[in-house]
Order: sequence, then C-alpha cells, then structure tokens
Amino acid sequence: MRLESGGIVVVAVEGVCAGPDFERALEADLRIAADTATFSADGVADLPACGRRLARLLGEARAKEIVLGARTFDATTAVRLGVVTRVVPAAALAQAARALADTLAALPPLALPAVRQAVRAARELTPDAALALEHEHFRRLIATRDHKAAVEAFFERRTAVFTGE
Amino acid sequence: MGENAQTRWWTEAGVGYVVIDNPPMNVLSDENRRGIREALDEFCRDDVGAVVLTGAGDRAFCAGADLGEEKHLTDETVGKFLARGEQTFRIIRDYARPVIGAINGWAMGGGLVLALWCDVRVGSTRARLGAVGVKVGLMASNVQLSRLLPEGRARDMLLTGRTVEPEEAYRLGLLSSVVAPERLMDEATAWARAMAARPRELVAAAKQAINAALEPEAAR
Repeated sequence: MRLESGGIVVVAVEGVCAGPDFERALEADLRIAADTATFSADGVADLPACGRRLARLLGEARAKEIVLGARTFDATTAVRLGVVTRVVPAAALAQAARALADTLAALPPLALPAVRQAVRAARELTPDAALALEHEHFRRLIATRDHKAAVEAFFERRTAVFTGE
Repeated sequence: MGENAQTRWWTEAGVGYVVIDNPPMNVLSDENRRGIREALDEFCRDDVGAVVLTGAGDRAFCAGADLGEEKHLTDETVGKFLARGEQTFRIIRDYARPVIGAINGWAMGGGLVLALWCDVRVGSTRARLGAVGVKVGLMASNVQLSRLLPEGRARDMLLTGRTVEPEEAYRLGLLSSVVAPERLMDEATAWARAMAARPRELVAAAKQAINAALEPEAAR
C-alpha cells in the first residue's frame, strides 16, 4: 500500500516484499510494515543502486548485510535494521498507514519538502554548507503565513489550519 | 564558578557543569547562550577534562527557541537569530574537551539541536526528544540528525516531528544510557570523569577526527 501526503510517500508493507517491490518500498520517505511482512533484496533490478540507497538509509554495515547476505528477513528484523520505522499487527496496517498520512497532512505543507531536500543534501555537503542550506530554508519558512498560524495556534492552544502560503 | 540570570556553572573534581536555568521549559535566550559561552571559556582556563550540560528541573533539558521572541523576528533580524544559535552550537562542537548532555526532560526544536551538538548524551527516564520544527512549519536539527542517524531514521523524526522516548532514543544511539531521574547527574558525572581521566590531547584529537569524519572527501 502506497499513500502520498504533502508530497511525502508512505509505504505500508504487507506480505512478501522482494525484488522490484523492495526497490519501490525503499524509494518511499517512510515505511511501516505488518508483522507478517518479509523482506529481501533478492531479484532487485539494480543491486548497486539498492546498495547505495540502503547504505544511506541504514548505514554501511546493515546495507551490506542485506544486499550481500541476500537473506529474507522478517518484520521484527526490518524494524531493528531501520528498513521500516514501525511494525503493527497485519489487521491494523491500513489504519496505521492512514494515521501516519493524516499526521503528515496536518503539518504545515511547505516545511515537509524542505526537510526532505535538506536531509538528502546533508550527506553530500560539508557541515558548514549543510548548515547554510538549513538556514536558507529556515529564513524562507519563518516568513510564511503557515508558520505564523502555527505559532498563534500554539499560544491559543488550538489546532492550526495551514494554507501552504 | 559563575552564574547569570538563566545559567549556572561550576567545576567539581575536574568536571565542569553548566545548567540552563530558565524555568519552566529552559527556552534558549541570549542570557543562557552567553552563560554557556562564559562557562566554557572558564572551564578552558581551568583546564577541566570534560563538561556536563543539563537543564534545571525535571521538565526540560531545553525547549528551544522562545516562540514569543521568535514570532517578532523580521527578515533583517532572523539572520542574527540564526547566527547566535549557530555560534553556541559551534562553541560546543569545537570545544577541545568532550561535552556530555544530561537530558533531564524535553529536548526539542533548538533544544534538540543543542543536545545533539553534545558529544555524548545520557538521559533520564523523563527525557523526550522531538525534532518539532516541522510542526510549526520550520526545520531544525536536520544537519545533526542526518549525521548521527542513518537517513531513514532521520527522515522519520524530521518529517513527523514525533516524540522519541528514552528507550527508543537509546536504541537509536541518540542516548548512550538511560537512568532514573535522581541518578542522572551521577551517570553524567561517571561518563565525564572517565573521559577526563584519559590523555587530554588524545581525547581532543579523537573528538576532532570524528567531527571531521563525516565530511565529504573533497572537504577534508
């Protein structure tokens, strides 16, 4: 199951996730899984690309374990390795995925793509350049109507309504 | 030993202690930023072996920027606001001795940034970590979380702004140990003394090497 909210992709994995399915799941921003899910890099179309993606997502040791070891692993292992961030009973998966998408949908929409871009860039930049990029985003975001709405709502102890401006 | 209106600091058995004391949530201010700077300068002169940074009380380590102050920022003043924050973080990062964050409660927003610039963090069972910037349409701690965590975990925290409790923080490596609130300062002191007992130059060189290790090849 694949949901998109504010440009952020959530994948909920149920059952066997191998080969191209595994590659597609790794492309998502956030992954959760049913306790019945299993994962494997076996049969992916582009193994080196999968290795690079996993190294960034999980760290080098874990990426090698998955890509070179080529074993099938269960949902508990997936959450330990960081392939998914949460495991829920299979019957609750769809609901958990929708709840996560709803959480994202309730956040100020302009900040999400900025965070995503900054996370991606952080590894490729020097710390100084990464910090400069973060500050550039911060300056732009702090001037948005949504940020002001969020702060007002915080002080008035109510839920903010965002317009993406 | 010293203090200002929102910061206290002292030295004991070769360890420097800094307490951010701006109740109830220990929000960041010019006052406590100045306090941290003065404390570290003093510790440097006194040649302390390690530093423990914590927040007063048991509600918050540091809750980040004062939203009341921050909402008055303009295009002209936001640059200075960011620069002041960055200066404090750099002082901690570039300080030659290890800095241990004793996370006694909430560390969120700019308070999480402060916690993450510490070299090691130990937490009480009341510790709560949150990259909450996204919830108010901002971003903070991107750079540090992207370095400390693999990207998948960093995305999870940064895109949802969710609260990370001590057991999870320990599992993720964001906290190096978790103890009962009344044991937190003893725990932080134990880490600090162990570091202070090792050769100073070696520890300083190791800290600096790790700071530089994740820089892209081209920048080294």
